[in-house]
Amino acid sequence: MSLVFDLVLCLMILGTAAASLLMRSALGGIVFFIAFGNLLGIAWLSLGAVNVALAEIAIGAGVTGILLILAHARLSAMGDPVECEPTSPWMRAAVAVICGGLIVLLSVAVLSISPTDRMGAQIATLMPALGIENPVTGVLLAFRAYDTLLETFVLLGALVAVWAIAPPGGWPQRPASLAIATPVSLTVIGTFSRVLLPASLVMAAYLVWTGSDLPGGAFQGGTVLAGGILVAALGGAIALPRADDMRLRSVLVLGPAMFLGIGLGGIALGRFLSYPVGLEKALIVAIEYALALSIGATLALLVAGKPVPPAAVQEGGD
Amino acid sequence: MTGLFYAAAMALLVTVALALVRAWKGPGTIDRIMAAQLVGTGVIGVALTLGAARGDATMLDAALVATLLAALAVAAFVASRAPRGARKDGEDRS
Repeated sequence: MSLVFDLVLCLMILGTAAASLLMRSALGGIVFFIAFGNLLGIAWLSLGAVNVALAEIAIGAGVTGILLILAHARLSAMGDPVECEPTSPWMRAAVAVICGGLIVLLSVAVLSISPTDRMGAQIATLMPALGIENPVTGVLLAFRAYDTLLETFVLLGALVAVWAIAPPGGWPQRPASLAIATPVSLTVIGTFSRVLLPASLVMAAYLVWTGSDLPGGAFQGGTVLAGGILVAALGGAIALPRADDMRLRSVLVLGPAMFLGIGLGGIALGRFLSYPVGLEKALIVAIEYALALSIGATLALLVAGKPVPPAAVQEGGD
Repeated sequence: MTGLFYAAAMALLVTVALALVRAWKGPGTIDRIMAAQLVGTGVIGVALTLGAARGDATMLDAALVATLLAALAVAAFVASRAPRGARKDGEDRS
């Protein structure tokens, strides 16, 4: 039964991927992209990788979906037809070669991992020293903390890049308001978002807390938080902050700064990013909570887009 | 019992496939978005039954996350379809 389930799932994943590429209407393609993210989440669940499934469902199906839909709406408002135009055969051939090469490289990389790889066992023997039980969190926050630290700064850099394309007069104003223009829809989504935002706060806090022992963590929690913020912004329950709001900026840098600060503190103990004995779990959980807040705010602002002049905010900001 | 849960997961996966057919055929954009919502709901069901079949309670967290974020797409879609110039100030874009 399990095998049949997995086979059907694989076929559906390939089907949705093909459909999202072949669909003529851009919104249809987005619909299949969201479905693709959801099904990929199920595939990770079926493989027993719940950490990855949580991230895929939250980011791939949730926040990226909203990003694509809003991008489509803004492009349409600018008069861009958003539909695919015929491309030259050379372009198609180049894309096919590049994508095919990437697939071959990835396949080689995946197949080069030996089935008798001892990495899992090695990590399992090191985990008791950290006082947490989720090996993924252990790898992300301790054994490969350097990677995670850099990733958090990359995310911050992406937001700086989005802010950098603010039009003249836009800096340092608010992003274009996301609030729905139709009064009836605004009331419905507004009421719904006032229920959803507290629920997403609880869920985000829970995911970060449970992430030290069970699947979860800062990235998953932060994405759920970003989802709640975005629905609240769509429903007009909250206004998006100005880019020079000091409270906003403190939240944005809190996670990376705390991670870096604790990492630098490790130098006093002998090594960058090492935790003092006995305090590992407390510090890891503290870093995770700070990161979740920063990631949530950053992702929500990345979706909201560049700051625009105040007049444009009232017009819908396109 | 495990076999029963797998059968349920399988059946729900088939309903997801049917929703995908609706998303492909459309014909309207609203039909496609509603089909996407149906896919989301089906996926939550698959996650729940798969968690029960595997005896893995953490899969319920994945179902919860999917539930929380399922409404995002439809909210964004409604926002993107709002008529221009329908703001409170009644300002007309020309």
